Amino acid sequence: MPDLIAISMVVNGRPYALSIAPRETLADVLRDRLALTGLKVSCNAQVCGACTVLVDGLPVSGCTFLAVDADGRRVRTVEGLAIDGELSPLQQAFIDHAAFQCGFCTPGMLMTATALLEEHPNPSRAEVVHGLEGNLCRCTGYASIVDAVLAAAALAGGSAGSDAATEAGR
Amino acid sequence: MIPRFSLARPRSLAEAFEAFAGAGGEGAYIAGGTELLQVMKMGFAQFETLIDVKGLDELRGIDTSEGAIRIGATTTHRTIERSADILAAFPGLVDLERHVANVRVRSTGTLGGNLAFAEPHSDPATLLLASDARVELEGPAGARALRLSEFILGPLATAREPEEILTGVRIPAARRGEGRAYGKIAFFERPAASVAVRLTVADGAVTEATVAVGSLTEVPLIVKPAGDALVGTEVDPEPLANAIASASAAFGALDAVEDLNGSSDYKRHLAGVLLASTCRAAVREATARA
Repeated sequence: MPDLIAISMVVNGRPYALSIAPRETLADVLRDRLALTGLKVSCNAQVCGACTVLVDGLPVSGCTFLAVDADGRRVRTVEGLAIDGELSPLQQAFIDHAAFQCGFCTPGMLMTATALLEEHPNPSRAEVVHGLEGNLCRCTGYASIVDAVLAAAALAGGSAGSDAATEAGR
Repeated sequence: MIPRFSLARPRSLAEAFEAFAGAGGEGAYIAGGTELLQVMKMGFAQFETLIDVKGLDELRGIDTSEGAIRIGATTTHRTIERSADILAAFPGLVDLERHVANVRVRSTGTLGGNLAFAEPHSDPATLLLASDARVELEGPAGARALRLSEFILGPLATAREPEEILTGVRIPAARRGEGRAYGKIAFFERPAASVAVRLTVADGAVTEATVAVGSLTEVPLIVKPAGDALVGTEVDPEPLANAIASASAAFGALDAVEDLNGSSDYKRHLAGVLLASTCRAAVREATARA
């Protein structure tokens, strides 16, 4: 039996010290040990994006990311987006634009889009589409998701450009 | 589930070689894990020990200062995509990296891991082949450098000895009048067809040209007749279009692998379409560097 490895990581602002096996993925640890079941493991092959979480601000596939590689790093999951029960502007925009139906892809979409907006606070429609290319949704047809991300960006930046881009992209 | 393994986290190349030797033939090096963990999950490979090379300083960093571009093996696709130094030295590589797989793979996957895995649909391998890049390998017996054509031997097969570590990639700096570009068509995560072009323009005409194709054949391939067909052409739209048509005719002889992406004929056709846009992008860069 291979040795367990002690790691420490901060998940949604809370520090954790864990003893884990090398083969455990970040998705395993978040879901099974920390009961953070927002992220979903769907394709298990880094293609669908349902297991997207942020490690030091970068989106990764929790299904194929060794938990030991999160040692000493900050992890964010969909459970960390709302603050004191108040949804993030992006989460609210997903509701306002009916940007989900079954909801299975939504946590991954939200995390990818959160990272995208932190890097590009005022993205063009094309930048949003490019950023979300690796997240699959079988319900919405994507247009409402892209609309929601652009609306959240417009709300945060108060930019007029994003609304125009949204209309132009329809 | 990933099969059980022990993890070694060496801090130097010497420690890494020691860990590999200690694994008694059951070890493998791992970097971003985007390829290796996937095949382990699928049951195609199993290792008792994985040796994580992400802690090795020798495998890090980007250096464009000495007439070449040296990229450390554990540099992620995302870091290359966002490197101002590489954008200045090799814009075609930045454009390529921006479209590798998806944002999550780019955040964790490394250039060295991509090349060492030798997946026939690798984006960087095709462009680096056309660019005459060398991969740097280091093992207990010493260091060596190989061209991509010497390094990639077949699908998922390279000239790397099991104990050797791919430490970095060295790409020649663009010469005066040189342009390098890459184009692909992808229906899924990996390309269906890709083309890389490296050419030199002097006095309004192409003086040197290399064309490589990826994803069509079992390994990325330089198509010498295609490059030769471009040499001598003026870069005005009409003569360039004629030369591109002659060059793409050379793809007819390629042994393109038929798969979910399409038939052999279809893939050869895609390569011809890509050659046109990729040639024009290379000419634009070459003209800007005149």
